[in-house]
Amino acid sequence: MNKSCTCNRNAKIQQTFLSVLIVAVVFLSGCATTEVAEHHIANKADPYENFNRKIYVFNDTVDNYVAEPISDTYKWITPQFMQTGVFNFFNNLKTINVVINDVLQAKFKQSAEDAGRFALNTAFGLGGFLDVGKSVGLEQNDEDFEQTLAVWGVPQGSYLVLPLLGPSTWRGIPGVVFDTAANPVSYVGMPVQLIYMLNARANAEGALKFIDEAALDPYVFTRESFLQWRNNLATDGKSEAALDFDDELGWDEADSAAKGSDAATGNKAGQTLDLYPETR
Amino acid sequence: MMVLKNIRLALVLIFCLFTAGKAFAQEGNEATARQVVENFQAELIAVMKNGKQLGYAGRYDKLYKPVSNSHDLTKIARIVVGKEWEKLSEAQQQKLVEVFNRFSVASYAHNFKDYSGESFVFDSEEETARGGFVVHSRLLIPDDKPVKFDYMLKEKGNSWRIINIIANGVSDLALKRSEYTSILQREGFDALIAKINEKIDTYSKQ
Repeated sequence: MNKSCTCNRNAKIQQTFLSVLIVAVVFLSGCATTEVAEHHIANKADPYENFNRKIYVFNDTVDNYVAEPISDTYKWITPQFMQTGVFNFFNNLKTINVVINDVLQAKFKQSAEDAGRFALNTAFGLGGFLDVGKSVGLEQNDEDFEQTLAVWGVPQGSYLVLPLLGPSTWRGIPGVVFDTAANPVSYVGMPVQLIYMLNARANAEGALKFIDEAALDPYVFTRESFLQWRNNLATDGKSEAALDFDDELGWDEADSAAKGSDAATGNKAGQTLDLYPETR
Repeated sequence: MMVLKNIRLALVLIFCLFTAGKAFAQEGNEATARQVVENFQAELIAVMKNGKQLGYAGRYDKLYKPVSNSHDLTKIARIVVGKEWEKLSEAQQQKLVEVFNRFSVASYAHNFKDYSGESFVFDSEEETARGGFVVHSRLLIPDDKPVKFDYMLKEKGNSWRIINIIANGVSDLALKRSEYTSILQREGFDALIAKINEKIDTYSKQ
């Protein structure tokens, strides 16, 4: 009797949450369609920019009014060693997923290291509260299912901003689903999950503050740094696209080719750039 | 009297020859791409070490020359606005370069404000296909993961200049170009300049 009552209540809460989400999406898409005509800017990686921007603003508002105040309180009342312990604990649980993805990407040596790290921290680090692995020089690797899909050759797809979850891509959606399923935290009760979220927000503080300080357009700044960061992770830092800075000048070469100038004679793109300061 | 005059002439001549010789010697000893990066990193660490005493204004003044001498800020400013550059008037282009110069130095002065044992180490360097240079280095931070810093350099006149910095795989040039072109297209030139000035202002107050 009592149980069915809670179930009912849960179902009700879920329904309310769902309807709020639907309303938000409908409302936001309404805004988006009225404004589509205003902007004809299409970024190749971000064809849904106008819609994504709405979700971004929505997430930002939720963060400013809900997540940030709660996270600040958590940081204020929790001593630093506890915060570090909590971070280490959840980070250690995440290692299970890292090991699975090491194997899925055929990085067997790395999977052995990560498994060893997990065993060490769980056994000798008070169940993961202390990062023993780090002190013996076992650096943690950063792997997840989205990276595995990238290694398997699944295309990234467009950039998406998910309600409440933030920056992602089409490939990131199955990534998040798998990572959540492979994280033990997903199977325990509310208080642990709440601390998990507080810990996540507290750790994002530095990055979010940096974006606030440095970005002229926080939406574009977040999108670009997110896509470059994910690309760098998926390629384990060997991402040539980010390194090839001649690529950054590529548009200029195309320019000069159109004007029939230097490009035809095999001159560097950079040289056409050089002319500008002098000709002024 | 005549003798004195001759001596003075001789001294002037010697002085001229000496300085000319020195200038030639400097031209012959042009700093390599790696040296440009390492000199700049050394200046940065030195400013960080005295960061607190210097304050924002002090760090800004100390970094102004090292930043403008090691970076090709004019070219960077031109690249970050992409194709929009050609749509700007000459006065607007000048304004952009001027504001961008101040913004670049201000960002360094703001972000490298104190010292807790950081150091840069050189890893390797390579020449790119189109005659540029990439210098790979790492910033070591005590009790934290090192940050990879890759510097892209191009030759300007006869010196190497930094044109892009890639930190842990995130390219500063690509990031800025997306931001700047987006703002120019959405909100226009004046909004871009106003936003940059606003950032410089916030940096100076922290």
